[in-house]
Amino acid sequence: MSTPPATQSLAFRVMRLCRPSFHVDTPLLLDPSDLILGEDIFDDPLAATHLPSLIDTHLTNPIDSSDLSYRSRFLLQTPFDSFGLTGLLVLPQSFGAIYLGETFCSYISINNSSNFEVRDIVIKAEMQTERQRILLLDTSKTPVESIRASGRYDFIVEHDVKELGAHTLVCTALYSDGDGERKYLPQFFKFIVANPLSVRTKVRVVKEITYLEACIENHTKTNLYMDQVEFEPAPNWSAKILKADEHKSEDNSPSREILKPPVLVQSGGGIRNYLYQLSLSSLGSAQSNVLGKLQITWRTNLGEPGRLQTQQILGTPITPKEIELHVAEVPSAINLDRPFLVHLNLTNQTDRELGPFEVWLSQDDTLDEKAVMINGLQTLELSQLEAFGSTDFYLNLIATKLGVQKITGITVFDKSEKKTYAPLPDLEIFVDMH
Amino acid sequence: MDSNSPQPESTPVPPSSDPLTNQFTSLNDLAHELTSLQDLANRGSWLSIVDKVNRARSLSLLNTPNDHLTYLAYIVLSLTKLRRFQEAQTELDSLDDFNSHHYRYETYPKIYHDRSGSMVPFSLRWLHALLPIKLGNRQEGLDRFYLLLDFVREKLNRNGNDESVKVWRKREVFVVNHIINQHLSNKELSVCIDLIDALISRGNLDPVLLSKLGYVQMQIGDLDGANVSFGKVERIASESVENESGLRNLASRNKALVYLVGKDYLSAVREYDECIERDAMDYVAINNKAICLMYLRDLADSIKVLESSLERVPTVALNETLIVNLCSMYELAYVNHSDNKRTLNNWIARVAPDDFDSSCTRV
Repeated sequence: MSTPPATQSLAFRVMRLCRPSFHVDTPLLLDPSDLILGEDIFDDPLAATHLPSLIDTHLTNPIDSSDLSYRSRFLLQTPFDSFGLTGLLVLPQSFGAIYLGETFCSYISINNSSNFEVRDIVIKAEMQTERQRILLLDTSKTPVESIRASGRYDFIVEHDVKELGAHTLVCTALYSDGDGERKYLPQFFKFIVANPLSVRTKVRVVKEITYLEACIENHTKTNLYMDQVEFEPAPNWSAKILKADEHKSEDNSPSREILKPPVLVQSGGGIRNYLYQLSLSSLGSAQSNVLGKLQITWRTNLGEPGRLQTQQILGTPITPKEIELHVAEVPSAINLDRPFLVHLNLTNQTDRELGPFEVWLSQDDTLDEKAVMINGLQTLELSQLEAFGSTDFYLNLIATKLGVQKITGITVFDKSEKKTYAPLPDLEIFVDMH
Repeated sequence: MDSNSPQPESTPVPPSSDPLTNQFTSLNDLAHELTSLQDLANRGSWLSIVDKVNRARSLSLLNTPNDHLTYLAYIVLSLTKLRRFQEAQTELDSLDDFNSHHYRYETYPKIYHDRSGSMVPFSLRWLHALLPIKLGNRQEGLDRFYLLLDFVREKLNRNGNDESVKVWRKREVFVVNHIINQHLSNKELSVCIDLIDALISRGNLDPVLLSKLGYVQMQIGDLDGANVSFGKVERIASESVENESGLRNLASRNKALVYLVGKDYLSAVREYDECIERDAMDYVAINNKAICLMYLRDLADSIKVLESSLERVPTVALNETLIVNLCSMYELAYVNHSDNKRTLNNWIARVAPDDFDSSCTRV
């Protein structure tokens, strides 16, 4: 025996409640003078004197509620009425696209389209994704007592969208219909969640400073207002954002205090770049190469917010150097064939004794004579350095060629560990005649 | 007395002459039956205007060059309002180049005596730029608008009398506003902000403009920027000596928007109620209040607010956006919403002006 399909007394109706938008149009409103008079008529002094009052008397009386005309659809009341943004709000007219990081909000209405009252309605709303089923609303503990014929019960649900892909809003109602029969109504509203942004990062190490470049690309159909983009460094790092210098022009424009140009990323592929300078706050603890995460908050129409966090961004691991050699001072005047002293400093960055050391200028393979050579003993001896200790020393050099020259290959060698450290980067000097 | 005796020849009625050499008290001295045209326009009877213009032309009732131009302006405006853009364009095409000597006062010294200059109504230049956009050629229209702006600015450089300068300044603002509209509808919001910035820098600290800047900023999502703009409006409103309701309501509505964006719908409704009490015809406050009620889960009252406004203040409440919102609410509230919409549509057909776009009911 087949049972005929049960007819439902109730039905769910759903409307997405993202923020409303401002209505935009081209107002077909004008000044009556521009319609009935020649454009140059006011050049005539007689017209200039007589016409304005005539126009005012007959045409531009203020509107009051006893005025049954549609004058407001024809004449301008203020000069800026022709700017088609009245502040009138419009409800979302379509479901639209939903993106990861946004909040899904929906008005749900259960209508009783039958001629009888329904009773004891247990309503449930759930969000079903690929991974989970989240309860948004459940009236099981306090069922709705009744919905009269042609009546309605409304509720609003909100859900932070944290997953991509297919989502289903599952609305169910369990109720007793006009005949006292217990009925079950399931309804499904499906939508897809897409990725609004992609973030590409590049990590570079320049002179032992780590730089993080982040490029944010907008994949949505609307412009995104970047409310906040913040880099949250990992525990042993600190970060500073680097910004380009802004133009100092237009400082005395009266609108300066009102208008700070908004950071807007264009829809459909627009990008914005951010640059951070990162530094290690403590030594020796950079074993992991996790730098941190980027937190992004954006807004769309009427401030509708969205929030996303990147995954952990990895950098190249930096092994801290055991010794640090740097140039403290180079004389400002260097003359050809005259010896000069370069002041250098060697620091032991480890927690144990290192050395003794030898310092020399490394020879490259070419047979060309170096432009700058050590004057005197070709190797300098330095004694041991205690943990975290440092020493200043001087290299006596002599330049054999004029003009811009390089001091190349200042190398430190640890005699006890038999370890040659990488040479100091080339140092440029200018050699003058004496 | 012989009833067939010839009547004395009446002196010929002079053709409608330059009103400024006579004392004039009515609009009809400016153009043929202007009062009637103006009255029809106020009532939104654009179809009647089209008929009247066509009749006047076919019965050769128009005598002076400025009569013809005024009637042309009325018919092009009417056809544009009726969304019959191709016909409007055709009418406009019947004109020579705007700068032709045919449209200058000095070409007709017998009628206009010593007056010189162009008698082209400025609205024709505006519609000449707008119509290509309505017909789908946005680039052409936008170019024309920018050229029109140059034209207006050249007029301002001539340094005419005070009234003339006042009028051309108004026209400058008018054209810039329309340029902003085009960029706004194309979602080029940064350009809009730059244009508004330029207006403000030229000294236009009009609270309506500042409020609209706030709306653009809000639309983008720059809530901080919007707050600064609204703050300026609030200051102007509180310092205003006249305390006129228009300005007070403007500041209130801005405040309500800030509440709305912060999801404090109850406070927004409260602000809008104050606006409506001050001015029962503040349809923006009425519409936005209904929207807030929806976000407060009160669909029934949001519908009531809009329906009652249509009864009480139909001449302003009968607004396409308000109707769109009402129909969205019907679609959500009633399973048989097509009945509600059909009833609404029938009422609109009886009451609405000719230019009302009833496609907004989606029936």
